[in-house]
Amino acid sequence: MASETGWEEPVLRATDVTMRFGGLVALDDVSLEVPAGRIVGLIGPNGAGKTTMFNVLTGLQEPTRGRIDYLGENISRWSPHRRGRAGIARTFQRLALFSRLSVHDNLVASWESSHPGAVLGRNRAKRIERVAEVMGLLDLWPVADRMAGGLSTGKGRMVELGRALCTDPRVLLLDEPGSGLDANETAVFSAVLQAVVSGRGDRHPDVAPPAILMVEHDMALVMDVCSSLTVLDFGSVIARGTPSQVRADADVRAAYLGDASAV
Amino acid sequence: MSQYWPFIIIGLFTGSIYGLAAMGVVLTYKTVGVFNFAYGAIAMFCAFTYWQLHDSWGLTAWVAMPILFLVVAPLLGIALEALYRPLTGLSAEVVIVVSVGVLAALEAIVPIIYGSEDRRLQAIFPTRTFVVGSHFHVGYDQMGTLVISLAVAALLWALLRHTRFGTSTRAAVDNPDLADMVGVHGDNVRRSAWILSTMFAALVGILISPSQGLDVNQLVLVVIYAFAPAVFGRLVSLPLAYIAAMVLGVVESLLSKYANSGTVANIEAAVPYLALFALLVIMGGRLKEAGASSRRLSLSTRSGGGSGGAGAVRTRHWVVRVLGWRLRLDRNLALGLGGFALALFIPLAVPGPRLIDITAAFVYGLIALTLVVLTGWAGQISLAQFSFVGVGAFTAGHLSGPHGQHFLLAVLVAMLVAAPLGILVGLPSLRLSGLYLALATLAFALVMDDIVFNRGDVSGGLTGITVPRPQIFGVSFSGRASLYELVVVVFGVVAVIAYVVRLGPIGRRLQIVRDSPLAASTLGVNLTVTKLVVFAVCGMVAALGGAFYGVLQQAVTPFDFMWSTSLTLLLLVVLGGRSLISGAMIAGAVYGVQQLPIPASVNQYFPLAIALGVIALAQEPEGTVAQARREARRVMTVLRPLPRRSVGGGHQIPMTSGPDVAIAAGSPPRGSGHGL
Repeated sequence: MASETGWEEPVLRATDVTMRFGGLVALDDVSLEVPAGRIVGLIGPNGAGKTTMFNVLTGLQEPTRGRIDYLGENISRWSPHRRGRAGIARTFQRLALFSRLSVHDNLVASWESSHPGAVLGRNRAKRIERVAEVMGLLDLWPVADRMAGGLSTGKGRMVELGRALCTDPRVLLLDEPGSGLDANETAVFSAVLQAVVSGRGDRHPDVAPPAILMVEHDMALVMDVCSSLTVLDFGSVIARGTPSQVRADADVRAAYLGDASAV
Repeated sequence: MSQYWPFIIIGLFTGSIYGLAAMGVVLTYKTVGVFNFAYGAIAMFCAFTYWQLHDSWGLTAWVAMPILFLVVAPLLGIALEALYRPLTGLSAEVVIVVSVGVLAALEAIVPIIYGSEDRRLQAIFPTRTFVVGSHFHVGYDQMGTLVISLAVAALLWALLRHTRFGTSTRAAVDNPDLADMVGVHGDNVRRSAWILSTMFAALVGILISPSQGLDVNQLVLVVIYAFAPAVFGRLVSLPLAYIAAMVLGVVESLLSKYANSGTVANIEAAVPYLALFALLVIMGGRLKEAGASSRRLSLSTRSGGGSGGAGAVRTRHWVVRVLGWRLRLDRNLALGLGGFALALFIPLAVPGPRLIDITAAFVYGLIALTLVVLTGWAGQISLAQFSFVGVGAFTAGHLSGPHGQHFLLAVLVAMLVAAPLGILVGLPSLRLSGLYLALATLAFALVMDDIVFNRGDVSGGLTGITVPRPQIFGVSFSGRASLYELVVVVFGVVAVIAYVVRLGPIGRRLQIVRDSPLAASTLGVNLTVTKLVVFAVCGMVAALGGAFYGVLQQAVTPFDFMWSTSLTLLLLVVLGGRSLISGAMIAGAVYGVQQLPIPASVNQYFPLAIALGVIALAQEPEGTVAQARREARRVMTVLRPLPRRSVGGGHQIPMTSGPDVAIAAGSPPRGSGHGL
């Protein structure tokens, strides 16, 4: 399936991930693949387990069972920061900005966090260049010196995206990036995502182009940018396929609207 | 077996009082989300009030009791509710600071109101004993206390379980907004909880004072015993907290049976604190703070909005190259260096004994700086910073040699000892934050008091040990002026390093770990390493400060580094401004002023003023500095000449004008790397 982009191995693959909290099954044998150079959507009603899946993928929560592979390596036991350094970046549904740093310093701190030795001042020139590039890409210069904590949700999401991009990620996990964005921001956003997966301006032309996995409720945005979708409901995968296939799926309609007959 | 019974009975007696205290602490935590560090101080205040009513004014218990329980305690409870109400939803840090402020305020008020002479509170029950079995004596007071405690505990439990108050409480805790909509008045529930909790404190105070003595500090300390059982009940379960308190009382009492030999001396006193520390470390991630996810530092968005305060807003600066290092010289640094140069000449102006007090201010400022870095920048709250000061002071005393000729070596050793201790205090921070971290560090400080600083071979016991004035490379610093210069230079160097580091990558790393540890970790920050290094480094510098503290005092005792000194440090740092180096300097200055020979009748108001100031400024990370800046701006606005033209106004609002300029000029972001 990923052969179109010339890369056989998916960048990120989850196999049979199960997550239980006491009696509650948040994820039930969920498997998914994120191929290089693609944008994959993870959709489903509230409480379907999407954010839990992100937490498992980034190592913030340890799954009850299951395996995560990244660029062909089993990373199930890696700590969150090791995954971050290896190129898995994410944004948060509830904004997790560095609220008392400026927008610019949010990005700088991100670059420094993901690049070894940067905290001791190494590779300053590269950092300045990359941060400036991302600031320009996301049109963040007008708010560069604003405290991140005082931004609108839309701008905050852009800063989180910028922060993630500064790590030069191989896979980007976006948790509801579109909520709170105005029309203009959504357009910029969509264009940026396309640019990222196309590998334009990519720092590592010799490896697979970056991949994106995104959780999103804005169906217009999802249909626009995603090449495939996985639908979760009550922790289980109920459908997967291209956006048009998923849109036609009866189970998906039932999950979203409560009752298939009501459609 | 029979020889254990007396100890078990004593244990049940004290345990039942801890149980009441634990329930009182849990009650406000679960209903209002406030962990009341001042609980012991409230009990102490009530006990003193009872002493005044009963022993001093001679009212009978039948009159004094109702006044205490039906008038004084409820009024105090209502006052506390009003104090904490505006803090709902704020970060744990703010609530901790306020409750420590309340503790300090009550400790300061009591001697002012009731005087500070020694006194004893008569037991409410007769102290006669009766004999059980063959030869085993039980006090009526012990039995009485046990019975009352059990009865009151059962009553509270029944109240929460089977009455409308109980269901309302649970509703208000689960979802305040929803509860409000179905007619539960959150305010009433919260007020009732505070009143009940304060009544419990009053009961604790009058039950425990007869056996523990009516002493301001002692009572506060004893109630901290109840924190461990409260945590055992995860701060929500009243029965678990009560039972754990009973068990703790018995264990402690049984251990005291064996504690008469020198080897395990004081272990039994430290048991509650060891238990607290261990519980917090073991329960770790399972402890959830009430409403922690949605908490903010301040209700207003002004936090960090002040210029330069959060270190993020860039100001005009010059880059100076020193030995291949890029040094970013900005207004703050220039001012600081200027002030430093001036400070070097102070001995010319103040040659007398007062110079020692100024030196003390700088030493305290150095210690305060470590808390600014740890708490203000890295967001790790610590109530144990003075334990490291103690390590530094005692090490300097033991290893400096008779003429202080080995001072440098002693400092080095002190810092090497402090580093692993810092990591030990930092360990809980890997799984805990906010309140639980504060409790763990408090427990650490108390353990250090009891099993390290109380040892004769460490501290010389109550009499303490002497610390000689230092000699470095043959140069003696025994004179007042030379010692002052040494301290100022050390402070200056540490402060400049801290300032420069703050603006660079390391400073950013600390702040992102404070602002959003989760996001930082997914970006690649190793939280474990970052936190432990910060704790270790801050501990080491505090030990350095401690060596100078000892040198300055020339004799140090365990009292100099008691757990409460760390609380005082926190208060002074919050007062000065916990996110600023100048905040540490203000903390030092306030400390220095208290060292001046001011009549006690005036000096006794200082701690009260400090405590009230802290309560007022708790939400302001830049403390007095921010307040002063606001006032100055207000004055400047009035004094400013009327504008003739609006050209050049951009300088006042650099935030929006800056970036456009940068883009227009096609230059890389200016000042984007003010690193090392």
